[in-house]
Amino acid sequence: MEFHDGAEPKLWELQTLEGHNDRVWSVSWNPVTGSSGVPLVFASCSGDKTVRVWEQDGATLSWTCKEVLEETHTRTVRSCAWSPCGKMLATASFDATSAVWKYVGGDYECVATLEGHENEVKSVSWNASGSLLATCGRDKSVWIWESLPGNEFECVSVLQGHKQDVKMVRWHPNMDVLFSCSYDNTVKIWAEDGDDDWHCVQTLTEDNNGHSSTVWALAFNAEGDKMVTCSDDLTIKIWETDVKQMLSGGGYAPWNHVCTLSGYHDRTIFSVHWSSDGFIATGAADDAIRLFAEGSNGLDDGASLKMVMRKDKAHEMDVNSVQWSPGESRILASASDDGTIKLWKLEN
Amino acid sequence: MIMTLSGIHPRSMGDLFPEPDPFDPALNLEETHIKEGYNDGYSDGLVTGREEGRLVGLKDGFEKGEELGFYRGCVDVWNSVIRVDPSHFSTRVQKSVKAMDSLLQTYPVMDPENEQIQDILNDLRLKFRAICGSIGVKLEYEGYPGGGGGDTKDFSF
Repeated sequence: MEFHDGAEPKLWELQTLEGHNDRVWSVSWNPVTGSSGVPLVFASCSGDKTVRVWEQDGATLSWTCKEVLEETHTRTVRSCAWSPCGKMLATASFDATSAVWKYVGGDYECVATLEGHENEVKSVSWNASGSLLATCGRDKSVWIWESLPGNEFECVSVLQGHKQDVKMVRWHPNMDVLFSCSYDNTVKIWAEDGDDDWHCVQTLTEDNNGHSSTVWALAFNAEGDKMVTCSDDLTIKIWETDVKQMLSGGGYAPWNHVCTLSGYHDRTIFSVHWSSDGFIATGAADDAIRLFAEGSNGLDDGASLKMVMRKDKAHEMDVNSVQWSPGESRILASASDDGTIKLWKLEN
Repeated sequence: MIMTLSGIHPRSMGDLFPEPDPFDPALNLEETHIKEGYNDGYSDGLVTGREEGRLVGLKDGFEKGEELGFYRGCVDVWNSVIRVDPSHFSTRVQKSVKAMDSLLQTYPVMDPENEQIQDILNDLRLKFRAICGSIGVKLEYEGYPGGGGGDTKDFSF
């Protein structure tokens, strides 16, 4: 995607949402909302042990809290994720459990509790078909659960390999390949070798152009052939794979480093997300949100990535999570240690 | 000149049988003491080392035995459940129970130096955690290795 010089993208602040009583760790958009007249919905989770569900009013376009999911987790809720069908919400907590919620009869009910991690669960992610749920935590393990009929979840595999706290897990958007990133500075990629036999097929280490400090988050582009990772080492890195090879049954295609963007952040980058129209948003410890995009620079090496916008003091404190909305509305949600969530509109 | 039978010049015989140097013991004092100290330390160490090794072996053997026995007990109960009601556990859980059973049987109890031990133990631990997660139970005993949930600090990132 390209932009013209002078037509710098702008992030307009739409609304600041208050309600949580502690830092907001993460937000997750309900993927089936935001188009065909269905108002946008997202969930946020917090150190106040609750999850809030927010909805945009179709007429006024303002956001309100529709529901507070409480009295279930006994400690911070660190991460939340909607299932691809939009009917279930998974939450990961420092109380070492993950919960699955369903909207039943006008109310959100906790329909399953997944136990197994030895301590704080840091992240939760659904695969593209919604059949698998992955969790990870401070006990250095990654768990894969299968979603079965009757709100049953069965543990498929407990994956060990990371040497430290695992910060995030994310399934690939098109394939059942799992990615995890950790305090051990690596990104690990896990695939199944038939019949519940999951193992690590690749580790992106410092030696292979990987990060030199904690990797906090990762995200994929819409096509699924590129991935961006962000780290405590103040850089974001782009990786790519031959996704056609993998989808056509050619077996696992390794991920290779494309480029490193350094010098743009001077504090830890906690969150990164890639929009469907090619904007990479980052949220960092300097309270700022930055946007990166590819722009043709006239050189033979084709498009290159550069920072196209920087919103200083987007929040009063660390920005923990940035997430682009589904659909075409170009809305960005950000969550912060300051206890608020902000909605932004991208215009360029 | 007459050569002696051995062909050695009489004068160099002194190199084969040097006269004792009266200053030797004084000059070699340090070396002698070092050797003596070493020998003392070695024989003392042999005794205390063996005792310490015995205690470490007992402790480690006990801990491993306890863990293996615990898994054996769990697997036996689960197998009984499967016999009584084959549909109670899913296929996946049953398969894992069987795999644990097999691992327990192959564990080289009488060969503590076997390189595979740590792999088998790790495999057992992972399968045990997966089964417990699937059937929704929390099983442990005091002293169960790897219990990292004891700390209750309220902060984490």
